[in-house]
Amino acid sequence: MSDALTASQVAGKLPVTVITGFLGSGKSTLVKRLLTRPEMSRVAVIVNEFGEIGIDNELIAEVSENMTLLSNGCLCCTVRTDLEETLRELFIKRRAGEIIDFDRVVIETSGMADPTPVVHTMLTDGMVFSRYRLDGVVTLIDAINGPGQLKDFPEAGKQVALADRIVITKTDLAKPADIEALTDTLTEANPYASIYTAVQGEIDPALLIDVIPARPRAEQVDSWLFGNDKGEGEGGYLSNRVRATHTMNVSSFVLTFDTPFTWDAFAAVTQLLTSLRGPDLLRVKGLVNISGEIGPVVVQGAQHLFHPPVALAAWPSDDRRSRIVFITRNIPKQAVEGLFTAAAGLAAH
Amino acid sequence: MTVLAHPGSKAGNSLSLNMKLLAHHELDGFGGIGEGMALQKTKDGRRILWMAHESAPKNFTGIDVTDRANPKMVVQTELPHAKVRSNSLDVVGDLMVVAYQTQTVGLSPAGIDLFDISVPESPKLLSHLDRSGPHSRGVHCVWFVDGEYVHMSSGAADFEPHNPLDDQIYQIIDVRDPKNPKEVGRWWYPGTKKGDTEPQPRRLEKKFDCGFRAHNTNVFPKRADRAYCGWLDGGAVVLDIADKTQPKMVANWRYSPPFNGFCHTVLPMFSKNLLVVSDECVQDGGADWPKLVWMVDARDESNLVPIGTFPMPPVSAFGKRGGRYGAHNMHENLPVETSFQSEDLIFGTFFNGGVRVYNIANPFQPEEVAYFVPGAPPTSPAGAIQINDVYVDENRTIYAADRFGGGLYVLELTI
Repeated sequence: MSDALTASQVAGKLPVTVITGFLGSGKSTLVKRLLTRPEMSRVAVIVNEFGEIGIDNELIAEVSENMTLLSNGCLCCTVRTDLEETLRELFIKRRAGEIIDFDRVVIETSGMADPTPVVHTMLTDGMVFSRYRLDGVVTLIDAINGPGQLKDFPEAGKQVALADRIVITKTDLAKPADIEALTDTLTEANPYASIYTAVQGEIDPALLIDVIPARPRAEQVDSWLFGNDKGEGEGGYLSNRVRATHTMNVSSFVLTFDTPFTWDAFAAVTQLLTSLRGPDLLRVKGLVNISGEIGPVVVQGAQHLFHPPVALAAWPSDDRRSRIVFITRNIPKQAVEGLFTAAAGLAAH
Repeated sequence: MTVLAHPGSKAGNSLSLNMKLLAHHELDGFGGIGEGMALQKTKDGRRILWMAHESAPKNFTGIDVTDRANPKMVVQTELPHAKVRSNSLDVVGDLMVVAYQTQTVGLSPAGIDLFDISVPESPKLLSHLDRSGPHSRGVHCVWFVDGEYVHMSSGAADFEPHNPLDDQIYQIIDVRDPKNPKEVGRWWYPGTKKGDTEPQPRRLEKKFDCGFRAHNTNVFPKRADRAYCGWLDGGAVVLDIADKTQPKMVANWRYSPPFNGFCHTVLPMFSKNLLVVSDECVQDGGADWPKLVWMVDARDESNLVPIGTFPMPPVSAFGKRGGRYGAHNMHENLPVETSFQSEDLIFGTFFNGGVRVYNIANPFQPEEVAYFVPGAPPTSPAGAIQINDVYVDENRTIYAADRFGGGLYVLELTI
């Protein structure tokens, strides 16, 4: 397993940011604003249609049927037949010098979509997997219509559950009390994503990129795992903020384990969990203490697919416990905890 | 809306993945470098990169790369005339060996010079070994890593090949007394020397016939009884040199035809029982495509078996970008203090394909992990970059040089 656990394998891949959110949540506005920022000048944006992000005036040159160069040097492309093919074609053209040396990909998903398949694309296609890495899922939610969408559409709940960053949009149009209530709802559903607000797509790109760092440093890992608010007091990660919740049938909880796992035991129990309850395992991410490894091993997955584990050189703090965030649908914490405790117990004997 | 056919196919554009340009030095207008790059650590703590020029008028250049982002020239020397070139050099400590190859047979200087470079600003000639002769163009390539022996591809006054293309053979030169270098052994491809009893080897068709000559002749102290040689159209050759006076062939992987010849470098991966074998592209416009880097299984050295090739962009992308496109020099894991040594990360040059870096953790499927293709140097006759050689130091700084006018590119891997 040590061969698979190298940060440099991940570091060489092009980061991909997935921007998701319900219809009307302001994805296109956000993407359009992001593209005007100088630090986003070597980005390839994948959208469903050019018209969607309203950049017709910015299109200066057609590279191919579905790829267009923007005035700021960015590349904009539409999904041709499927996302895998589009990502593959982008890399092939980049390598052949036919398009800009983009250093980041931003994918804007369609509004009604469950973003999980997009995340899975990064893992299941051999060439895509060897060239790209998921940098993070940014979910936009409209302050006005968001609460209703969360109630009525399961896809909206999944978008929130998958998020590493949540951006509440149109806050200029909503009452402060409504924004607060929405924030509470989102925090309950996914307490491990940082929540920001944006009006007219104005947000510092730094908040949305390099979410899952290629060479994770301790403080970055904390921020990715647990959001900006890491909790105070005893236990740190186990602050009173972190509790099992049942908004939209989505539960979130953190499990911690004092005993290191062997990789085989950890992998086996993860496999068992995904095979039994994969569809309901909306997001899993954590730092795991694996026997024989100096630093923690970063694991993350969505539903039945997990990213390759990445071994860090050092722990973020003196706390050597494994801690794993679960965002699930209708899976009680106790059930998951029981499985992992059994695995840890087996490893100890 | 303007329609751009291939915006990036303009050779003026730089292309990069996971590599960053730290500095560029045009070598004062003489930016054409051959296949000799070596890094000296001087007694006063400086780091001097030595490079042999691809053609006259310059002989070799020393660049102070102590501050790698701010390279400074310390010396640049002249050749005695325009029909000779140095092309290759190596450095051990303060001793530098420089090759001299003439355009035609019978000229001189043709051989090697040994220099004391303890004061890099003023290299001091210690000796010259003459290899000129009626059938010799002198020395093409030197390998010198142990301070004792130079392994080289060279003609000799007493060597007459059947075919003039077969003039440069493997020679071992004892330089333990650097003022008095002496040949101790030699080997040539059986059947190429007049008087050989073996049949002459089957030549490639005329348009690809480059000859049966030695190119790189690498000997590593950790396997001091083997010489790993690229033998142009003869393929990869491994020699037993336990007795330096009588090298014997133990392996020959000959793959041309059907391929188009010019085996250049045979680089052993000792811990993996593998050989990385590179060709050299020698024709412009993709005319001798494919010129590849091969992965060869060497578990049984008498039966070398190719198991893969290093992935390169398709010839349709670079073939017509200007000049040559295909494999050439590799970073050769020189067993010296200032050289990066890895059996996982392999660095190669591909002319207009730039410098490319491969991870060979899975030898059946080498993976390209980084590249840097500089934009065309303004004076390049090829109209494109022609990265000719690469040297990687122990800190993983990458020094790459252009064949014509681009000079030196100092790069780092960002992974």
